[in-house]
Amino acid sequence: MLRIRCPWCGERDEVEFRYRGDATKLRPAGDADLAAFAAYLYERDNPLGWHVEWWLHVAGCRQLLKLVRHTLSHEIHAVLAPSDEVSLPTAEARR
Amino acid sequence: MSAPDARPTAGATDGVAISLCRTDVTELAALRNRAAELEAIAARRGLRLPPNGHVVTTADLVALAVRPQRWLLLSAPAAPGAAAATWQALCADTAAAVDLSSGITALHLAGPSARDALARGCRLDLAAESFPPGRAAATMMAQVSTILAALPSGILILTPASTARHLREWLVATARPFGLAPPADD
Amino acid sequence: MRGPARIARGLLTDAQRPLRFRFDGRDLEGLAGDTLASALLANGQQLIGRSFKYHRPRGVVTAGAGEPCGLVDLLGAAGREPNQLATTLPLRDGLVAESQNRWPSLAFDVFALNDRLSRLLPAGFYYKTFMSPAWAWERLYEPLIRRAAGLGRLEAVVGDHADPAETVHDHGDVLVVGAGVAGLAAAQQLGSCGLRVLLADQDVALGAGPLLEPRWDAWRAATLASLARLPNVRSLASTTVLGAYGHGVFGALETLSAEESRRFGGLRERLRIIRVRRVILASGAAERLIAFPGNDVPGVMLAGAALAYLRRYGVAVGRQPAFFVNNDEAYEALFALAAAGIRSPGVVDPRTESWAMTRARALGIEMHAGAVVSAVGGRCAVRTVTVADLGGAHRATLPADCLLMSGGHTPLIALATQLGAPGQWQEAIAAFTAALAPATGRVARAAHGVFGWAAAARDGAAAARAVAAELGLDAEPLSALCMPADAETTPLAAIWEVRAPGKAFVDLQNDVTAADVRLACREGYEHLEHMKRYTTHGMATDQGRTGGLTGAAVLAAARAVPVSAVGALKPRPFAQPIPFAALAGGEVREHYRPKRRLPLHDWHETAGASFVSAGLWLRPLVYSRTPGWEAVLEEARAVRSAVGITDVSTLGKIDVQGPDAARLLDFVYANTFSTLAIGRARYGIMLREDGLLFDDGTTTRLGPDHFLVTTTTANAGPVLEHLEFHLQSVWRQLDVLLTDVTDQWAQFALAGPRSREVLAAVIPGLDLSNEGFPFMAAAAADIAGVPGRVFRISFSGELAYEIAVPAVHALTAWLAILAAGHSLGIRPYGLDALNLLRIEKGHVTGAELNGNTTADDLGMRRMLKPRGDFIGRALAGRAGLVAPDRLQLVGVRAIDSAQRLRNGTQLVAPADRTRSLGYITSSSPSVEHPGWVGLALVAGGRARIGGRLVGLAPAHGETTELEIVSAHHVDPENTRVRA
Repeated sequence: MLRIRCPWCGERDEVEFRYRGDATKLRPAGDADLAAFAAYLYERDNPLGWHVEWWLHVAGCRQLLKLVRHTLSHEIHAVLAPSDEVSLPTAEARR
Repeated sequence: MSAPDARPTAGATDGVAISLCRTDVTELAALRNRAAELEAIAARRGLRLPPNGHVVTTADLVALAVRPQRWLLLSAPAAPGAAAATWQALCADTAAAVDLSSGITALHLAGPSARDALARGCRLDLAAESFPPGRAAATMMAQVSTILAALPSGILILTPASTARHLREWLVATARPFGLAPPADD
Repeated sequence: MRGPARIARGLLTDAQRPLRFRFDGRDLEGLAGDTLASALLANGQQLIGRSFKYHRPRGVVTAGAGEPCGLVDLLGAAGREPNQLATTLPLRDGLVAESQNRWPSLAFDVFALNDRLSRLLPAGFYYKTFMSPAWAWERLYEPLIRRAAGLGRLEAVVGDHADPAETVHDHGDVLVVGAGVAGLAAAQQLGSCGLRVLLADQDVALGAGPLLEPRWDAWRAATLASLARLPNVRSLASTTVLGAYGHGVFGALETLSAEESRRFGGLRERLRIIRVRRVILASGAAERLIAFPGNDVPGVMLAGAALAYLRRYGVAVGRQPAFFVNNDEAYEALFALAAAGIRSPGVVDPRTESWAMTRARALGIEMHAGAVVSAVGGRCAVRTVTVADLGGAHRATLPADCLLMSGGHTPLIALATQLGAPGQWQEAIAAFTAALAPATGRVARAAHGVFGWAAAARDGAAAARAVAAELGLDAEPLSALCMPADAETTPLAAIWEVRAPGKAFVDLQNDVTAADVRLACREGYEHLEHMKRYTTHGMATDQGRTGGLTGAAVLAAARAVPVSAVGALKPRPFAQPIPFAALAGGEVREHYRPKRRLPLHDWHETAGASFVSAGLWLRPLVYSRTPGWEAVLEEARAVRSAVGITDVSTLGKIDVQGPDAARLLDFVYANTFSTLAIGRARYGIMLREDGLLFDDGTTTRLGPDHFLVTTTTANAGPVLEHLEFHLQSVWRQLDVLLTDVTDQWAQFALAGPRSREVLAAVIPGLDLSNEGFPFMAAAAADIAGVPGRVFRISFSGELAYEIAVPAVHALTAWLAILAAGHSLGIRPYGLDALNLLRIEKGHVTGAELNGNTTADDLGMRRMLKPRGDFIGRALAGRAGLVAPDRLQLVGVRAIDSAQRLRNGTQLVAPADRTRSLGYITSSSPSVEHPGWVGLALVAGGRARIGGRLVGLAPAHGETTELEIVSAHHVDPENTRVRA
């Protein structure tokens, strides 16, 4: 089970959050074509390693968080605000 | 109630005493970058809005924050919507004041075993050193959205009105092994 | 002494408190403090069950939670509970237990024939034999296998599960798993520097390791007393840590003492979810078996178990205990039994010399050094033990009534493995150890290969100091308390198997032999995890704790590689069987899931409503408790002919405020809201980004920057989340505040041609004329003195209003409206009538907004705004969503109005009944038309209006000829709502 350190609420159980997917996918401009929207909605990497993802703290502060999580070890490298820049760790995850 | 911690907590020497608090609830939500202005408006009314995760009590209000730039104000019951209307008039263009008096039900848990009983359904660390009086948190309890606030008199629990009966029945069942004091109110 | 084998005073038993119990129909006596196993052994009952596959007689092997054979059925008020561990089950007065896997009786078991036929039951037998034909699985093989194999049997539990359970959430700085010397020392060290410590041990008593050693009594007592003085240390006995789930989360199962159980209303188990910053794993080691022929005969057990039965319960497991051991630690049992006057007929040790052997010889015990046990005489009990030298030559036959074995000690590193720690082979103990990352915690004692009590205590304290340092605290070593020195020991000589004729088991619970492991290897299952699945080695409830590594070693020998190259089985949660009831915790019966109640719930109940669960809500279905449609039709007729009122408070309501409120709504809705006038409402549809319909509802503009959005009942939560997500990610620049006001407002629909008259009576000040308050108007108003809101919107298709008041004033407003409508025949109507009315009108709900439909499918294409961005805009235009043969919304009516319609009925062409053209989504008896009306999604449906299709409901044996009509069964011109 993940324990997510919410910047507003402190460390909380995973069940309080709703996973909202890949946070690196940016919605295309409103007038973009079908292909751009299809890529935004459907094309996903499945990395073994660090993944940047949205989690909404629905049972807490209802803030959207940007997590950097390791898909194998589940280590959470950072919990950020939506507008924060992400730098992926260079080192491999701790086990 | 005036403020929950001002109420006598009958039966608090037994395990757990559960009571219902009749209170108006107003949510103040600051518009973008207007939180400081809102805090200043509140301060002029004698209310220091607490930082996120905290609760404060004044003579006639309980104010708590569990979401950034938002506060819940609990006050004695008055005419429907009056409290929210007063605040909205004070902070037009700065914040939204929404009446939630009907939408939120307040319960009060007192007694030496209150926190032990809550640990049966609450995933937060409610030990006195981690959640001392003055702290507040939004979480889930017995599968229901819940806001908890630690007051000197016990734990204040806010829950959506539609699930209040469910939560109350659960609390009564959960608190029973610890010794349930008769309700002090209602 | 209560039982012929009770030869001494046990440390845990109370000789003054006899208890009566029954096993397989025999009435027996034990003592308070006994487990079922110790009480049975005290009565000389070694045979306790039959094995899983071969139905061989079995007795208890261990004295704890890793027990492979001592599984029994417990018979109680709640019915039969299978797979109870006799070795941990506390004895209580009146307990009734039965052995498992025997038919018709324990001593004579028909299926024991399997044992004789074992050549026909090799590893992978089921995979090889029951292959085809496919039909035979269900009808023949499975029932047969289920009767012949398996562990205990499940019976329908009598009534409800009678015993409550609960889940408790725990928090702390450090969890110490295991309260042996290392765990106790660690807890004391951590506690004395002020950390919040949870100390958990599966045993009923803390310090159970040193409990077996009288020299350690003083240390144990002093340490426990010091822990009891530390309020920041919580000791949890009888608590098994079941699994490690990462991020400092552990699951544990606590078995309540009788006293605690009474206090908690009969609660037996408590699931603890523990969250800590660090863990110290001091869970010790499990003694392992040796695979030799006959190692499963009742009376063959682990040497450590015999020591435990003697010290804890005062029970001698035999009068003539032979030994087959390879390590000095196991000699403790020999010495303790000898001290109690039980003389061993001989000790077999493959080593030639050791410190312990020397001490044994000094006691005059017959030693067979450099030897192994090659056979056990006896079937239901041990009679003789055959000793051979290492080359296999016969050396001696010892008379014995039990055989105490020890193949060494395997550190219990399951939790460390679950936390990602790789096993590291240690030649000195012939086992794997593990180490944790400092950010996770530390292992102590056996888990990194430390044996001996004094060494363990030092190791536990050292681990604690390291963890304290990790947490930023500087811990001084505590003064060493009266700690006895460890005796000198000689390392073990690894021995895994004795190759001799006969079955040598590596897994006693699943009946896996060393030969099975070799067969699996020959057949290509060389990887340990493959061998496990092929043979079922280590897959039983004990998870191979006594023989898991032995099986791995046999596989290593078959592959001619070292054990370290084969590895150890990956242990997964749970560490021991856990009842489902404990996992469910308190969330059962009325607490199974929350119920949301309407503000007027009690009124509806008093008015005679039948309730229906709609999501979490309880809603009035119809104001009648008589089955049938009559009351529903009456309610609906009242609405069509006069006036009715229904409670729609379940609708989701979101208060939207801020300078960018209109922009946000234009973006999340497919139609436009920025053009909506203040005091007006508009119906809106929301798409998902993939272009399919998400939700619908009316939105009212309360002020320039203030809207009230309503959602469907089912989507109240998802829509709010959808808005919040987009507001905080894609549209971060927008200044909008969203507040859920669903529970704040009670809302009623007042519908019917006379509704205006009723409303006028309760809101005297408002001009309700079409000019003053037209269709889709909204206004603030006092309803019977309660400040609220009124909207002219209609779901029923009639002239209608919705009235919203703060929920605590719902009753005042509701009663005032009923009183005002009394002379007009106003009736409350429930969800069935509401559904009837909206189906007649052709309004959609979740049955049509089902995640597969587009706006065009439901006839709402014109609502999509032609310009500007909105969620779903781009993908709504993709080819698959605009194809002409998509399912489109139409109405259906039976040609023969006596025939009923059903949701889910498939629609086919009369000429081709094999291809579905669509299905009925909603249906109801009608008040406007004879018989039933329905809504359906039909391929190219709009072009079929006026035509006929056939409805097939094969599950009901029904075929219905249907007329395809407009979805608007009533008032397609929309004149009534504007009346």
